[in-house]
Amino acid sequence: MSTKGHVMTEKARIEALLNKQVPDRVPMWPFVPNGFAVVYNGLTIADAYTNPQGLYDSLRRTARDFGWVFYPVMVYAAHGAWEFGGDVRMPTGKYDQAPVVTRHPIERDEDVYNLKWPGPDSGFIPTARRFAELAKIEDLDNKPFRATIAAGVAYGLACQVAGLNRILKWLIRKPDLAHDLIRQISEWSIGGLPGQIERIGVDRVLGTCGGPMGSNQLISARQFVEFALPDIKEGQARLRALGVRNTYVHICGEHNDNLPYWAQVDFGDPGIIGIGPEISLERAAELFPHHIILGNLNPAIIQTGTPSEVYEATRQCVESGKKLGGRYIFSPGCDLPPRAPVENVRMMSKAVEDHGWY
Amino acid sequence: MATEQRTEELIKGLYDAVLNMDDEGTLALSRAVLDEGVDAYYAITHGLTPAMEKVGQLYTDHVYFVPELLLCSDALYAGMDVLKPHIKTGRSERNRQIIIGTIEGDIHDIGKNLVKIMFEAAGWTVHDLGKDVLLQHFVDKQVAIGADVIALSALMTTSMLAMPTAIEMIKTKDPRVAIMVGGAPLTRDVALRYGADGYAQNAGEAVREAKEMLERLGR
Repeated sequence: MSTKGHVMTEKARIEALLNKQVPDRVPMWPFVPNGFAVVYNGLTIADAYTNPQGLYDSLRRTARDFGWVFYPVMVYAAHGAWEFGGDVRMPTGKYDQAPVVTRHPIERDEDVYNLKWPGPDSGFIPTARRFAELAKIEDLDNKPFRATIAAGVAYGLACQVAGLNRILKWLIRKPDLAHDLIRQISEWSIGGLPGQIERIGVDRVLGTCGGPMGSNQLISARQFVEFALPDIKEGQARLRALGVRNTYVHICGEHNDNLPYWAQVDFGDPGIIGIGPEISLERAAELFPHHIILGNLNPAIIQTGTPSEVYEATRQCVESGKKLGGRYIFSPGCDLPPRAPVENVRMMSKAVEDHGWY
Repeated sequence: MATEQRTEELIKGLYDAVLNMDDEGTLALSRAVLDEGVDAYYAITHGLTPAMEKVGQLYTDHVYFVPELLLCSDALYAGMDVLKPHIKTGRSERNRQIIIGTIEGDIHDIGKNLVKIMFEAAGWTVHDLGKDVLLQHFVDKQVAIGADVIALSALMTTSMLAMPTAIEMIKTKDPRVAIMVGGAPLTRDVALRYGADGYAQNAGEAVREAKEMLERLGR
């Protein structure tokens, strides 16, 4: 551990990285700890998706308790289906983790040609809007951003709108239909960016992107390039043109074959490249030589490991990250498990605090 | 009655049709198998099953991905649906039986479905309980049919927490059944910690893992 002690706040550390400077210590920025935060604060997992004030307060308190970057965002992976007219079920069961789609808005081929764009009060949009209004108010020393704006997510949304099985078969059997659906969603998504920027401005606004649906656990790099990448490039280019300086992309799952294509996207200068344990920090750093790399502790170990195993795995991750020339943020490689033992999360944070100093 | 040469032509045709995701081809060839008097069981075990094994290998090797796997399985089922009702009864060998399901709290069933396909292609009798399956349902099904293997799937870190409970509940009722688990957040170590007998990292490995698990357990 450095003898310097705490010099910089978490916000200052992130700002240093965005200005291409080396912070005093590796920042801790767990990717979407929302489920964990509400459970840690005595709420239910469903509150992470239904209760903006409860989620905001939980995230703020949890980030403070564990010494993390406070990154207020209210999201879920199956986003899209509800907004386009389908149904979701909130996580109320003993083993539930997140909202799940119970009916997709597209169930037949012809539904693609009758797709209705979401209105301002469709699905999750009003809840997310209430959360965003809360998130932009406070200026805290661990909160580098006051708002987020997503772009380049049309392929992932299409998977939720039509259902994964259907989309995956269309990629080969009915590629024109898949392209048509993705194009419509892309037009809606990218077309809405100027209006969002008008409302929230660009100051301390972070672009976001990513998701698991394009991973090589599901599709090939060729399919990723044909169906997902064009919208990602266009969406991110639009964000840059609108003045959003940086994007945090969560490259979720096993994307090793896709990684050179992700590297073609303009995620800002610098972008924040979040990766899971399926991709090595070294490979990400090689392919994204001018960006910040975020990751990539296996979330499962936080759930299933002993405190000492979590500490050691985190230490190894941080030691690898520190070799990237100061452009590294520590995070689990995906959502912090909502029911992770608190002692494990404490040991994860302690390992960064003990070993993260430059 | 087809000649030996014609039989092999049909079998190779079935193999290629599955591999090429050609469900109409598989359907037509399966009908030809029956029309020309080729044994349906032979056509499945020498045409469809090896084709799906090859598909599993291509998936493991990152040549095929899930879209290809789904379409290959459509072709497989197109043939199976035609041929299965014509398998002659009275065969001496007993099919292995597996109960499979995505565990309570989890609706992600694509991985489970791929594993199911591989077991069906390998000739196992598969009892698919679906997704978000209540733990007691696995127990009840096992008590009812006495399967050789139960396969539990989970994609989420919360739903995987149901696994040790499910395994304990099942083993309490039937200590002999072999239980394997799979899903993104799991590892072999975690599977063992949870009391499972086996773990498969992906669908391509699942059948081999099940066979090895049964051998290890002497069953």
